[in-house]
Order: sequence, then C-alpha cells, then structure tokens
Amino acid sequence: MKRPISQLAAAALVAVVIPLRAGAQAAVATQSAQNGSAAITIPFERLTLPNGLTVILAQDHSTPTVAVEVLYHVGSKNEQPGRTGFAHLFEHVMFTGSGHVPYGLHDKYTEGVGGGNNGNTTNDFTQYYETIPSNYLEHALWLESDRMGWLLDALDTAKYNAQRDIVKNERRQSVDNQPYGRSDEIIKSAAYPKTNPYSWPVIGSMTDLSAASVEDVKAFFRLYYAPNNATLAITGDFDPAQTKAWITKYFGGIPRGNAIVRPTIAATHLAAEKRLVYEDRVQVPRLYLVWPTVGEDSNDQYALDVLSDVLTSSRISRLTKALVYDKQSAANLFSYQDSNENAGEFNIVITPRAPHTLTELEGDVDSLVAKLKRDGPTDDEISRSKATLQLQFLSGLESNLGKAQRLAVGQAFHGDPNRAFAVDYQKYQAVTAADVKRVANKYLGTGRVVLSIVPTGKRDQASKPSASTIVSQTPFGSKTSIVEGK
Amino acid sequence: MIRHHLRAQVLTGALAMLAVVPAVHAQATKPVALDRSAIPTAGKTPELHVPTWSKLALTDGAKLVVSERRNLPLVYVSINFIGGAANFEPANKAGLASFVSNMMLEGTTSRTGDQLAAAMQQLGSDVNVSIGSESGTISVFVMKDKLEPMLGILQDVLLHPSFPDSALERLRGRTLINLQQAKDRTTSIASVVFPKLLYTSGGPYGRSMTEASAKAITRTDLVKFHDDYFKPGRAEITVVGDIAPADAKRMLDKSLAAWPAGGSKPSFDYPTPPAPKSTTIYLVDKPGAAQSTFAIGEVGPPRSTPDYYALRVLNSFFGEQFQSRLNANIREQKGYSYGVASRFAYGRGPGAFRAGGDIVTAKSDSALIEFMKELRGIRGERPITDDEMQSAKNALIQSLPARFASVGSVSNSISEIYTQDLPEDYYQRFVTRVNAVTKDDVLRVANKYIDPQHLAIVIVGDRSKIEGPLAATKIAPIVYLDLNGDPITSKVTP
Repeated sequence: MKRPISQLAAAALVAVVIPLRAGAQAAVATQSAQNGSAAITIPFERLTLPNGLTVILAQDHSTPTVAVEVLYHVGSKNEQPGRTGFAHLFEHVMFTGSGHVPYGLHDKYTEGVGGGNNGNTTNDFTQYYETIPSNYLEHALWLESDRMGWLLDALDTAKYNAQRDIVKNERRQSVDNQPYGRSDEIIKSAAYPKTNPYSWPVIGSMTDLSAASVEDVKAFFRLYYAPNNATLAITGDFDPAQTKAWITKYFGGIPRGNAIVRPTIAATHLAAEKRLVYEDRVQVPRLYLVWPTVGEDSNDQYALDVLSDVLTSSRISRLTKALVYDKQSAANLFSYQDSNENAGEFNIVITPRAPHTLTELEGDVDSLVAKLKRDGPTDDEISRSKATLQLQFLSGLESNLGKAQRLAVGQAFHGDPNRAFAVDYQKYQAVTAADVKRVANKYLGTGRVVLSIVPTGKRDQASKPSASTIVSQTPFGSKTSIVEGK
Repeated sequence: MIRHHLRAQVLTGALAMLAVVPAVHAQATKPVALDRSAIPTAGKTPELHVPTWSKLALTDGAKLVVSERRNLPLVYVSINFIGGAANFEPANKAGLASFVSNMMLEGTTSRTGDQLAAAMQQLGSDVNVSIGSESGTISVFVMKDKLEPMLGILQDVLLHPSFPDSALERLRGRTLINLQQAKDRTTSIASVVFPKLLYTSGGPYGRSMTEASAKAITRTDLVKFHDDYFKPGRAEITVVGDIAPADAKRMLDKSLAAWPAGGSKPSFDYPTPPAPKSTTIYLVDKPGAAQSTFAIGEVGPPRSTPDYYALRVLNSFFGEQFQSRLNANIREQKGYSYGVASRFAYGRGPGAFRAGGDIVTAKSDSALIEFMKELRGIRGERPITDDEMQSAKNALIQSLPARFASVGSVSNSISEIYTQDLPEDYYQRFVTRVNAVTKDDVLRVANKYIDPQHLAIVIVGDRSKIEGPLAATKIAPIVYLDLNGDPITSKVTP
C-alpha cells in the first residue's frame, strides 16, 4: 500500500470513503426482504477500447464525488522466485510521477482538492484509486492514463531507490516489528511447494527487494501495465458522454501490450501434518492451524466461509462458546477462509489464557471440529450465518469506492462486474448444512500446518513441542540483521 | 498492502444484479495533438449539501434528531451521551468505562448473553456500545423492517444489563492478556507513555488502563457507573435513514418508555496540566525493535479554542496530508519511515499536539533532526506557501461530502454537533471559517502552540542501537523510562 493508515493519523483524518447512493437511475429493489434474498440492481455500462482497456461506468449523483479505480491483473503471483515483493514495490513506483505528470501533482489533484488516493497489491492484482470531488474527474483520468502509458519516461534510479527504502520500512512496520507478524509467511512457505507463487508473501523478502533493479521495473511495466491487462471502473457523480470522451482522449493512445502468460496453479494438498515452532518477541504464545483449501475459482469457498462463521463468528459459535466462554481456556480465537484467485487456506488462530496450554487447546479444537465433521452444523447455525448477509451487502452499496473496486475485481477475475451480487451473494444464500459438513470433511483433514509462536526461549510453550520443528530463520525476513537502506 | 479476502470483499462490496450490458467498442481515436502536459481545468466546484434534520424530544426528555435518507432500506440509530470515561471514571479505576461497554452485552435481567447474541443475529444486526473519553454511544445499524424488534433489544441492553460476575471475570482475564500483549508493540507503549508524561496520572487525559486498575474493578463499580451515566438528561438520539421523524419518535417513545428521567451534562472541569518541562528525550527500551516509535509533542488547546480553524489549516499541510511537510520530508525524500504525521487531539479540555511515526532503527537520530527542523520551520523559518494554504483549505472543505456519505457517517456527523456542543450550522460555518484563515493566522498559532523548547520526545525502540546516535544529536537530554512510562534511572546528559 502506498501509505499506511497510521494509528496517529487515523483519528484525525476524514475517512476516505466516498458515498454511494444507488441514485436516481439506480433502482435498488429489495424484492423479498423477509427471506433475505434481496435482489439489488445497479445499472452499469461496460466498454472496451481498441487497445484492450475495459471500462465500467456506474453513475450515482447523490453526492458530488467520483471514485476512479484502475485494476491491473498482476500481483505477487506473477513474480519469479528471487524477485519476490516486486509487484508491490512496483506499486510504489507508480506514485513517483510519470512522463507528463511531475511528482507531487498526483497528491495535489486528489488529496489537495479534498479527495484521496492510494494503491494496494495482493497475490492476484494491483489496484489504484482516486476519490475526488466530481469537478476533478478529468484530472484523475489524466493522472491514471499518464502513468499507464508514460511511467518509464520519468523513472530514475534515485527515485526508485527511495521507494525501495520505503517498502523496506513498510515490511519492518507491518511484518518484522509486529508481534506474530511473520506468521503468515512461515505458514505459506510451509503450506505450498516453493514453485507455487502463493508460497511467498506479497511484501516479499528483504534480500529480493535489495536485488530488484531498475531494468526489472521496466520489463515488468511493459508486460503487465498494458491497457489490455487493466480494468478502469468509475462510480459516482459524472456525465457519461463527457467521461467517455475523456477516457478515449487520455487512454486511447496507449498501445496494447503483449499477451500475458499467467501462472498455472496446481491444487495444493498436504499429505501429512507439518508442525512448526517459531520464537518471537512476544509475551503470550499463539497457535495457528492452517489447511490448504480452495480459491475463488471454486464453489466450495462459500461453504468454507459459512463453516468459519459456525466455528468462531460470535459468542455462540462453537469454538468461541466452548473455549472462550465456557471453559475459558482461550483469550481469543478466530477463523477465516482466505480465498485468493487460484488458491486459499482455512485458518484457525488461538490465543490461550494462562495456565491453559497450546497443546490442550489444539486437542480441544480438534475434538470440536471432529464433532462438527461427524454431525454437521444445525440449520439454526446456518441461518444465523446468513442473517447478516443482506445488511452487509446493502451497506456495501453506500461506498462509491467499494463499489468501483468490486466491479473491477469481478471483471478482472470472472469477466463479470456483477459477480459479487449476481453470483456470490446468491451462492452464500444457497449454502446448506450438508454443504458445510461436506467441506469440513473434505478440507479439514490431517494434512495441515500447525504453527506455534512462542516467547523467545520458551519453546516448551509450543503445542506438542517435541513433535514440532524449530523455525530459526524466517524465509523472507532477516531475523538478526535487518538489511538497511542507504 | 492489503491482503485479498473474498469474504471481506463480498461483504463490503457492492455490485449489481441486472441485465448484462453487452460490451461495446468505443470509437477509435487518433491521439494526435493531445498535449499530455496540459493540466486539465477543473469544472465548477460542486455545492456542499449538508443533510437536514428534524429536532424532536422524547417524553423522557432525551433529545431526538431525525435525518431522512431514503435511498436504501437502512436505518442507523445512536443514543449518544455527553461525557465519558474522563468524567465518570474514578481515578483508580481507569478502564471502567471500557468494562461497562463490554459488559452491557453480557446479558440482561431477562436474557443471558448467549440469548442476546442469538436474538440479535436472527435480526441480522447487533447493538454496539462504546464509551470514549468525553462521549459515549449505544447504536444499531439495521434493515428498516427489523428496526422495531432491534429497538426492543436496544432498550433491554440500555436499561436492564445484569452484569454477571462470571462474565466480569472472563472479561478481566482477557483484558489482562491484552494489556500484556500491548507491551509487545512499540506503538501501544508510546500511546500510554506520551500522555502520562504530558498530563501525569492525575488528570483524565494522562490515564490509561493498567493491570492494577483492571484488577480493581468490581461489579458494584459497573452497576454504579451504569446508573450514573446512561441518563436521558444527557442523551441525544440520532436516527438516520429510511424512516419518517414521527415514526422514529413513536418507536423510540414506546421502546424507551421505562427509562427514568434525570441526568445532566458534566462540567468538563479538569485539573490544570503540569507546566511544560524543557525539551527532553524519553527513551523506552524495546530490545530488538526493527523500528522506533516516535511521539513528539506537548499539551495543546481545547476544541473550543478560537484558534481551531487556523490549527486545522496548519496541521493539514504540516502533518496530515500525504504531501505534508513531515511526510514529504521524512518518508518521501529521506525514506526513514513508511509514514509520519501530526495531529491536535482537542477535546473539551486541552488535548495533546503529537507528531510522530515509526522510524527505521538505524535512522532514529536522522529522523529526530528532521522532526525538529520541521517543528522549528513551521514557526517561521520556512515560509508558508500559497500552495500549502490552498491545498489545506481545499482538503478540509472539499472532503466534507464524505462526512455525509452513508447513514452511519451522517449519524456521526450530526451527533458530533451535540456531543461537542457545536452550533447547528457548524458545517456551513466550517467552510467560511476555514476560508478566512490567513498565513499570518497560521504563523501566529504555530508560535503559540508549537514550542521546540518544551517538547516531550518519546522514543520507543532498541536502546542499544539508538541511544548513542540520539545523544550525539545533542537535541535534548535523555531520560530512561520503563514500559509503563516510569523513570528507571536518573537523567543522563549526552
């Protein structure tokens, strides 16, 4: 991400969330609020420029603001081993000015006029956005098109090196200096074979970040930042005819890029349990149970999400009630299905409450999960999980930016801007108790990663310490000597 | 770097279900004669639309305001209370307000905590309770067809919490672990140490919950706090969404009929903060920290200061925007940090001014030099530019529409007027007042409120690596503090 949402600033800043009213043209119809299966309709228009740029327009005139989202279908998944962290480092370079836009103007014509801008990088895509008063829409299109077409004209080594230092600071702040901050990269590198691009973290390794050269940046840009690999979504208060003319004016002259070969991701299955223990500068140990599951390309993702709700979404969910409330052996406990484009994992994370141990908690969680696999959830548990869906989907309509991002992701992943409502929402509503029982049995088996993070020198606090392998060096950070910038 | 979660994406996302519009090809164009260096001309500045609201009162005396927003079948109801932890917590019970807000959902005289959770889930929503330093709120966000049953739960939580002992002990256990884990994070440590230095533990602004205060809280304290605090006489209820004012009043009068009258606004009289000390570095050792957390500042003015607007303009270009002086220098030019910022906390009393961020360990000394340079610079050494003034004013004024973007944000923006005791035309007035600020005003308030000779410089980081370089800057003497902000040795002169 270009900029942090710092604790210090968060309270002072006005949230960069722009309103959406599914406005005059946008018929929001809740057909049957009673059974929770509301149909929600927001007209949008889709165009494709001759250079391959896909454009999605959705008007909403309730507030005089616009959100502009540009999504490039490239993420850490497209990196090569030895150059991890590159997609995200590149995201930072995109904010250093472009051929016709000197550094600084991007902020001047967004934040400096009452809007905002940022970017973020995932395993699968990199997205950039501007939120602006509606009279600055042309500026946003000018800014985004110039860095799509003319970024390299303004790139120099000094600028590049400065951003690389900032990214290293981002890694320090979000990973190395965070208690338990390295859990994710330890788990991913254990869960996936080294050749699987989901095995490395988006932020990358310090060594690889130091090795990335300006030439790497140029090659990456030419291949992945072409209009045929991008989706432009605009939501809010704009005039469609004028906006289309601006889009053609600013983006029309950018040449199409070469065809992109996307990595083939094999399904991941762990034959056996991998038990790990990592010492960190923490005072309280923590246990991670992680099973490889599926990504967004599988329908099982929906039942896995509901499974997570059944286990930990509230005080009456199974694991939370049994361990946080009744036995009180856990201080907290949460689970989630993490679905990326082509791969995913199911995670359970447990913080114990002394004198209870990780070993005891692992045993209790396993018994409770085994019971669920045997008997399945109750219909009541399923309906509770779904009861909040309608409110959550509708409240999502209040944000122009959120809407632009969902339109763009749906288009990039599935060729369907409608994906979240037309497909995902309906599929969540259709999940049954039998589906949840089936996915629990299919995915929550013996092949998993069990990671204990323990206070330095307290390996005996790990779950089943004698059966666990010690991780002394994380694969991506450098534990003892952090690589410094200039 | 935000990780991608489908679930999160789906739930915050917003998409359409409609007839698919077939893809069409835009007309091919010739990019000739386009001068890409020409900066577009902005259109006419859009008018600011502040939502309107109706003022009513409930029969129990609580103030009610209703703002209709009919685009989606959603309603947001918040019962706001003037005053908070700073006014209602005994000095030795810091954290009591937080305990009360958590315990409100642990059951009522007619429902267990589990029954309450199940009832709320079935309605697809929940009740949120939070009590801040100087105001508190209990709220629901709900589909409009579920509003009436949710108000039934809201009143039960508000009026009849049972505060079971077993839940108190569970909450205490969890809280003690959270307090222990907070000592692992340099940012959490700084946020306890910095206010304690400025205000000492004597005043409410300097206090934070400690293990001792969390252990001292009893069920009797919870009951007393609840009885004293949640009174209609200091309450203001905001309803925003797809509902008519008369319907809101009818439903609330019915659900809150049993709420006994009484209560008044607290005085917000606080002890005077101690006189500022000459600038000192307070170093808290966190061995192995990859970054040092900086918190540099001093006691600032209250929210009611006539200098408020000049300070907002100042801080916008000094430490709030991405291209602010602090961030442009320390992050963008020097690469010492992933982000630095400053803010004035305001409040009914004198809130703190604080600048800081997380700095890479090896550059802690260099970053301190830059922070001090900017803190001196804003007082006149570095002249204020027209661009800085303009971008600050635009950023403040043109971001107002975002405050009226959803039922929740409209509700917060209206409620703030009442909990902060602001004029009802505050948002309209805000535009005029911000526009009226001059460079001289900014310079005057910079010199009044930012005093490089009397700063508390809290740095939480790896002492073995940063102590020598910090001392060598000769910026200020170093005092060593423990993780709680208490001195561990006498002052050492660099």
